[in-house]
Amino acid sequence: MYAGHFAAGFAIKARAPDAPTWGVLIGVGLLDLLFGPFVLAGWERVTLTPGVSPGFTLDYIDWSHSLLMSMVWAAAYGLCFLRQGRPIAVVMGIAVLSHFVLDWFMHPADLALWPGSRVHLGLGLWWLFPVGWWFFELAFIGLCLAYYYRRSRTLRTFGHRCAAIVVVIVFLHVANSPWLAPH
Amino acid sequence: MTPTSMAILTFLAFLLPVPLLVWLDRPRHRSKR
Repeated sequence: MYAGHFAAGFAIKARAPDAPTWGVLIGVGLLDLLFGPFVLAGWERVTLTPGVSPGFTLDYIDWSHSLLMSMVWAAAYGLCFLRQGRPIAVVMGIAVLSHFVLDWFMHPADLALWPGSRVHLGLGLWWLFPVGWWFFELAFIGLCLAYYYRRSRTLRTFGHRCAAIVVVIVFLHVANSPWLAPH
Repeated sequence: MTPTSMAILTFLAFLLPVPLLVWLDRPRHRSKR
């Protein structure tokens, strides 16, 4: 999942409008922001599979994406915002954890319980529906942004450029579509 | 595409859109009366 994480971030922002938007958006992507450097450092491994959805196999992503480490990163990230109050810190932690929950739907069983665990989680929509996953994520994006729009019209403290946000997130989702993936 | 380029691409893909999205989410400026 890619653009769906950003959409989840806007739903979280709509639920907790006092939370800084940048913090929420970095939070929802934090596990993948860690994944990149961890691969470069050799701590995690990925194999490319052109033509086979989703185009790669995540061989070992336990330090960034396992359930235990997701909770650790969520706690650590939340603590960074503790000076803004406990509610904000909790929201930031939830933002990070949302990444694991949403990845569970898409990933085949490559999400370990903890680093080195033999138990791996993941519903595997990427493999079950090599094209259909994209529409599942699109529907999720629609739900999140509809909630963001509705809350923005109620609270009127954010979201008056909701249409532009929809355009950007849908653009990101199209850029990540199976039709544009390298073969 | 290599694992290295995918790692860099993933990192940038989650980082680069953030400033634009934050800018689009900013509160409407209210003029003083």
